[in-house]
Formats: sequence, structure tokens, C-alpha cells
Amino acid sequence: MNDMTQPKVVGQRTPRIDGEFKLTGRAGYTGELHVDGMLYGYPVPSTIANGKLESLELDEARAMPGVVDIFHHGHFETLHRSPNSMAHGDMVNEVRLPFEDERIYYHGQYVALVVAETFEQARAAAQRVVARYTRMSGAAPGLLQTDAEGELQESAGTSRGDPQAAFGGAEVKVDSTYQIAAESHLQMEMHATLAEWHDDGQRLVVHESTQGVFFQRNAMARVFGLAQENLEVISHYIGSGFGNKLFMWPHAVATTVAARMTGRPVKVVLPRQQDMSSGGNRPASRQRIRLGADRSGKLTSVIHDSTTETSLVHQYVDGCGSATPSFYACDNVSTSQRVLEVNHGTPCPMRAPGEVSGIFALETAMDELAVELDMDPVELRRKNNAELDPASGLPWSSKHLDECLTSAAERFGWAQRNPAVGSMRDGDEIIGYGMAACTWSAGRQPCEARVELRADGTLFAACGTQDIGTGTYTIVAQAVAELTGAELSRIEVKLGETSLPAGPLSGGSMATATVLPAVAAAVRDALDAIKEAAIGSGGAFEGSDADSLFADAGCLTDGNRRVSFEEVLETSKLSSVNGHGSAAPGNEQNEYAFRSFGAHFVEVRIDPDISRVRVARVVSSIDIGRAINPPTARNQVEGGIVMGVGMGLLEKLDYDPRDARLINANVADYIVPTHADAPEIDVELLDYPDFKHNEFGGRGVGEIGLTGVAPAIANAIYHATGKRYRDLPITIEDLLAAD
Amino acid sequence: MDDSVHSRTRAQVAPGTQTLNFTLNGEPRTLEVAPNAVLLDVLREQLGLGGTKKGCDHGQCGACTVHVEGQAMNACLRLAVMCEGQHVTTVEGLARDGELHPVQQHFLECDAYQCGYCTPGQMMSATALLNDERVGTDDASVREAMSGNICRCGAYKNIVEAIQKSRESLSYDATRKEGAA
Repeated sequence: MNDMTQPKVVGQRTPRIDGEFKLTGRAGYTGELHVDGMLYGYPVPSTIANGKLESLELDEARAMPGVVDIFHHGHFETLHRSPNSMAHGDMVNEVRLPFEDERIYYHGQYVALVVAETFEQARAAAQRVVARYTRMSGAAPGLLQTDAEGELQESAGTSRGDPQAAFGGAEVKVDSTYQIAAESHLQMEMHATLAEWHDDGQRLVVHESTQGVFFQRNAMARVFGLAQENLEVISHYIGSGFGNKLFMWPHAVATTVAARMTGRPVKVVLPRQQDMSSGGNRPASRQRIRLGADRSGKLTSVIHDSTTETSLVHQYVDGCGSATPSFYACDNVSTSQRVLEVNHGTPCPMRAPGEVSGIFALETAMDELAVELDMDPVELRRKNNAELDPASGLPWSSKHLDECLTSAAERFGWAQRNPAVGSMRDGDEIIGYGMAACTWSAGRQPCEARVELRADGTLFAACGTQDIGTGTYTIVAQAVAELTGAELSRIEVKLGETSLPAGPLSGGSMATATVLPAVAAAVRDALDAIKEAAIGSGGAFEGSDADSLFADAGCLTDGNRRVSFEEVLETSKLSSVNGHGSAAPGNEQNEYAFRSFGAHFVEVRIDPDISRVRVARVVSSIDIGRAINPPTARNQVEGGIVMGVGMGLLEKLDYDPRDARLINANVADYIVPTHADAPEIDVELLDYPDFKHNEFGGRGVGEIGLTGVAPAIANAIYHATGKRYRDLPITIEDLLAAD
Repeated sequence: MDDSVHSRTRAQVAPGTQTLNFTLNGEPRTLEVAPNAVLLDVLREQLGLGGTKKGCDHGQCGACTVHVEGQAMNACLRLAVMCEGQHVTTVEGLARDGELHPVQQHFLECDAYQCGYCTPGQMMSATALLNDERVGTDDASVREAMSGNICRCGAYKNIVEAIQKSRESLSYDATRKEGAA
């Protein structure tokens, strides 16, 4: 048994094992795959947001060179109703199937799919399709463009104590409303599907850029009426997802139908405009926070009421209050969630869904409370630090928020902060210091894996999860290396196929803690098998006791003699041994609460003459248990911080309030941080392995880095300007309006 | 209620194909391309060189950056036929004799990527700016010059580090070559 308190490979800096493929252009992302006889599809999006498709004029497009067919309502396969269950692993992002009826619910909804021999031909013909609509008045505008309240989601709210009474009687109060614009995931690789039918339509292979091959397979099996065994979904390289590639979208269904009806493979890569209008977004939110505290700063009441958007074709609830009951020690806490239907493209999870919005509101409110109390905001967080999870009453498996606050404050130079508003300057620039705490739950799912030790000296590990850029390929190899002692260069890892043992979504910061224990179980099973072979007749350790053998440096040894795995296998005339493993969360889930915490400290610099605000530096300390591969883990947090700068200052999907059309569906008008916008970043990952969570001690790291960044920026801007910005993004126009 | 008709562009596509002669990653190539085919799509779909990525098709994201006559350019903003007689280098042409280019090697060591999709474009811009005397050598100048290449994973810090380390090793190589000569 390996000692995971002193690992040799896990926890060590390990360059990505898939790195060379990505760096040489050999990594095959879905959109660049080719199969024989493949056709190209190009969707035609609706140009209105609310109405009815009256007719399509297709004659000209059909007559164009290379056009094979044009699919639309009335010329499309009849499908089975879409499933939508998290529990059954077949959740989808939009339950409405493509071309299901003539109603138009949002700008960008597909009205046709042109299929042609080449990409150029498909695009040219798609541009000649003429759609006639009856536009209906009263398109439901975005949440932030209306006073509409939305529908209360009874199941999404929580309450403990008597928060209303406690707020009423509180010595110090904050009562503020926060609004966050809808955001685009803008993952660099657009949604893409390549569908191939085999065996006369009996078997389907779908290449999809997805964060969940099994979810996509299960959903497609239901929609197309296929046995799961006859359907394979493959996703080897994913140009990231950030949540919008977790579940199936209509483009995948339309592509797959086109492949069946044309009798040829079809590939669709969504144009960026359609990816943004119809491939998911983080919905806009409006949140009211009421905080009550006593004079010492102890919270007595937290009331967090949220409303988010959903589309008219799918119910998506972006639960903003989900971290709030666990964040701070307070006896009286309630959260509520409303959802408003709008004529926009369907929203979906986006990195730290719900919580990142909720934490912006809560952590800005905490800063407002600190100002009311005339108390240091770091001290206020300390004072309300929850020793137990206040939501469940369970002890934390491992929590080091205090150390995060102390360490990041020290490295940042928080002690030099003059709390007086606008008091810190460097030449013409006003400097603002702000901070916020951050958090994300640490989940874990059931998982299976397979490991092979091969006579050619290589080792092989497989799991049907994905690597979306977080480094999953590499940490699986590290786990195998750790438990076998084999060189990393001998370890091959296969992910992203439904033919492999069932693996989890790459989402929710759960993949690491979910996959590695299953891989470890599979390694142990494979080691048992090779020991069994070694002690058998004619084996390398014939007659020995299996329990006397252990793996070391890619060899079996009894303490005296060492025989490499390949020699053991060759001696026993075996090509390989196989190990299967499965792992699942257990009773620890009833004994402990699992959540990561951290803190961000931000310096903004404001040029008052031109109202320009820049994030100059971010110093963060995050406790994620053990980082399995420190550089890739740190990269996740750094990337989250960059995305947080976008959320705080830049990002906003702009919808026309008159007709609900999306105005800025392109990468120039929807602004994300560039190299020049990236601040100086100093991220520390605390190293407290959380063995209660899993044997490797790591909690997920994909999401926590984004949470807390935007409020730390807003709090820094308050410190610089004295103006409290409660709406994101905080733009130059907002700063100008304040003058 | 109002009736509305929406149609898109009415421009006519010239029929047939045209012959394109150019040099790709050091190899002379002759191709038949559609007159409306964009260099990016010809690389990815016709030539099977998927290393050059499509992120926006509008010259806004930089994922498709290639070198044309040694200059970094967005392959999505050039018709393929515009490359007649020109030298084009893609990410597939960076490594030589199975050895990673120093920029690739430093991207690997610095973990200057996550999903890897913008990475070829980042590296093509990086190799161009390291040869561009107009671009200063400090971090701020590098950030400015690299700002046409968006990395949504946000690996900017590591990308700049990789570029600066590449500069060191490239100048070391140059000195060594001069010394050897």
C-alpha cells in the first residue's frame, strides 16, 4: 500500500503528457476531424427573437453547387422526446428538439441546416436561404431590462433560524441589490459535432466537443431510440467548455439527423455568432442581500434573494444562493431563487454556476458591512469564519480559510492599506485595495476505470471522462506512476470515449476527486493480477505468497529480487494483465462537509482623467487540499482570476431591449480579457491533503479561482473612489457617470 | 404584428476553382481551391492541417495565426488565392526534425496553455514577435504585442513567461551559431 502522505509523483510538477500533441497541432479537436465521404453542415439562425417561421424559400439555395439537402421543420426526422435527468445521466441543455415546430423563441434559434459537399458551399447556400417570419410583439426582454419578478423556485430556497426577525432587530444593517449582466462562455473552440451512422443506421458514432461523453451518449440514445451500446460518443481534445459543453445541444441532434437522412457523415462547427446566441450563456442575475450584524461585526442575519433568467424552451435555474448557507457562521440565514423566462438563447452552467454570481453579491455586501462597522474587511471575515458547516452542522473535512486570509494579506501588503477612501495614490493614479473570500463545493461522483500492464513494458489507463484543458490526462498518469513506480513516459492514458469505463462529467470541479480513486482501484486490481501470474506455475515468483510481493519502480519485488512487469508477463506468456476499478463517495459524506475556501486580494489603479480602471495585481491563497499537479492546478486558479477580471470589468452580452435580439455576438464586441488586461498574479495553493475526501487528498480546482474575484475588484474600486458599484461589469461609462 | 423577410448576402460566388501555387511549411504545393475559400479553411479542411484553429472567422481571436512571408497573419482573413507564390508557415512547420521549436518547448515547460486550442496561434504570434525588432523586450511590450491572441482559459501569465524564456534560449542559440561560424 502506497503512503499517500509522502507521494513521489502525485503532488510533483509534471508537464502535461498530452502537451506535445497540443503544441505541434496533432491533437485532433472535433472540428478538424475528417472521415471519408463527409459532408459539411451550416445552420441558418433565426433573425428574430419571438414569432413564427412562416416559410423558407429554398429553391435558390438548393440549386447551388454542392448542396445535398436542407433540413428544417417539415423536412426532418421524427424523433423521441428529449430526456433531461441529472440522476439518469442524460440531462440536456435544451429540451426542445431542433425544428420541432415553427415557433421562434430566441434570436439565433436554428430554422434550417444546409448540408453540402464543402464548407464553402454549405456556408454560401445557408446565406441564400430566405426565411419569412411573423414577428410577435412583446418579446420578453432580459431580466435587467424589466421589473418582472420571475417565478419562485420553492425547491431552490433554504432557511434556518428567523432571518427576518433577526434582520429587523440588527444593530447594523446592509440592504443592497446587485445586478450582473449575462455572460458568454466564449470557449475558444466552438461547439462541433461530427456524426457517422454505420451498419445501415443501426450504429452511431458521434464526435462531439463535450465535457460529458456519457451524458451525450445517454441523451442521444433516448432521442434516436438506440440502445446505448450501439452509440459511441468520442471527445479526445476539447477546446475548453466552462460548462456550456456539459450537456447536449440541438446542433448535435440536427447534425446527427442530417447524417442519417443523407446517408453520409456530417460535420457541423457552429459559427462563433451562433455559438454565442445559441450555445449557452451565464444568465443575467438580480440579487438582493440583507445582512444584519451586531456592533462587534458578528453576523446575525443573512437574507439572499436571487432571480436569474431562463429561456422559453428550457428551464435552467442558476442557483445564486447555493454557497451562502455554508459561507459564514450565522444562525439566521435564508436564500430564495426566482427564474424569469426571456426571449434569449437558453442559459446553462458557466464556471462556478450560480455561486460566482451569489458570491459577488455576498462578498460585496460584506465589504459594505465592514464600511458600516468601520472594521477591516479581513477582520470581518475572520470574525464570522464558520468552524463547522453551518448549513449541515457537520465538521469540515479540512478548512484553512484563516490561513488563506493571513497569507494572502501578507504577500499583498494589506497592512499598508490606508482604509480612507481615495487616500492612496501613485502619481496621477488612484490606488484601491480590495479583497474577498472565495469558495466552491468539493463534490465527488461514482466512477470506473481500467488499467492494463502490458508485456511491451507500457502501462495503459482508461476512463470515460474528459480532459477539457484542466490536465486530467496527466494526473491519471501520475496516479498510475505513483502506485506502480513506472516511468511516466511508459504510461498511456485514454479518455473521452463511451467505449471506456464510465467516467464523470468534466464539470463542477469534481473530475479529479472522482477519477483518481477509480484509477487507483484499477491499478491495484491489475497489480493483484500480475502478482497472481507471477506466483503461478512457471511464473517469475513461482510459489511465492502474493502478499509478499509489491510494486516498485515498474517492477514486482519480494524485497530481494526485482523483476520488471514486462518480464513477469513474458515469463508467464501473457500479453497483458487487466485491472478494473470503481470508486464512489461513501459514508464520509454523512460525517463531513466538503468545500474549498480561499481569498483574493486585488489592487486596482484608476486614472481619474479618463475614468480608466485597471486591475494591477491579484494575490490569492487557495486551499484545495493537495494539488495533484501543482502547475496545472495553479493555472486553473490563474485562469479563473483572468476570467474574473472579465466578469468584473468587461463582459456583457448585450440584448436589444426592443426585440430581444443579441447585439454583440462576436469576439470584438463581447470583450474578454486579453494579454494586456491580465494583471500580475500571485497564487499560492495551500498544501493540506484532504484524505477524508479521497485517498489522494485533492479537491477540485477548476472553479474556485473565479469566485470572489469580481467582488474583490468592486471593493477595491470602492476603496479608490468611494463609489459602490453593485452592477457588473463595472465599465468606464459607469465611472464617468459617477463624476 | 408585422411580416418580415430576412435574407442574407446576395453576392454571387464565382464558379469553379482556381489553381494556387504556394510554399507551405517549406514544401511547394499546388492546389485547386474555390475562389471564396479562406486560407484557414483550406488548411483545415482541404489539406488536413488542423493545427491552425478556428475561433471566430472574423480576425478577432487570433487562434488562426500563421506566418505569411514571415509575418504573423490571421488565416481567417485571407482568401487562399491571395497566397499565390507566397511562403506560409503553420504550427505544423514549427518543429524541425522531430525536435520542438524552443517556443514549443517553453510552452510545454511553463504550462503556457490549458485546453490548447488558442495555443498554435499564440506560438505563431510569439515566434513572429521574437523576430520583430519593433516589439520591445519587456513584459508589457510582449503583452501588448500578444493582445490579438485571446486565451479564454486565461493562461496569459505562463504564456508571457514562456515567450520570455524562449527569447533567452533563442538568443543563446543565435550567439552559439555565430560563434560556431
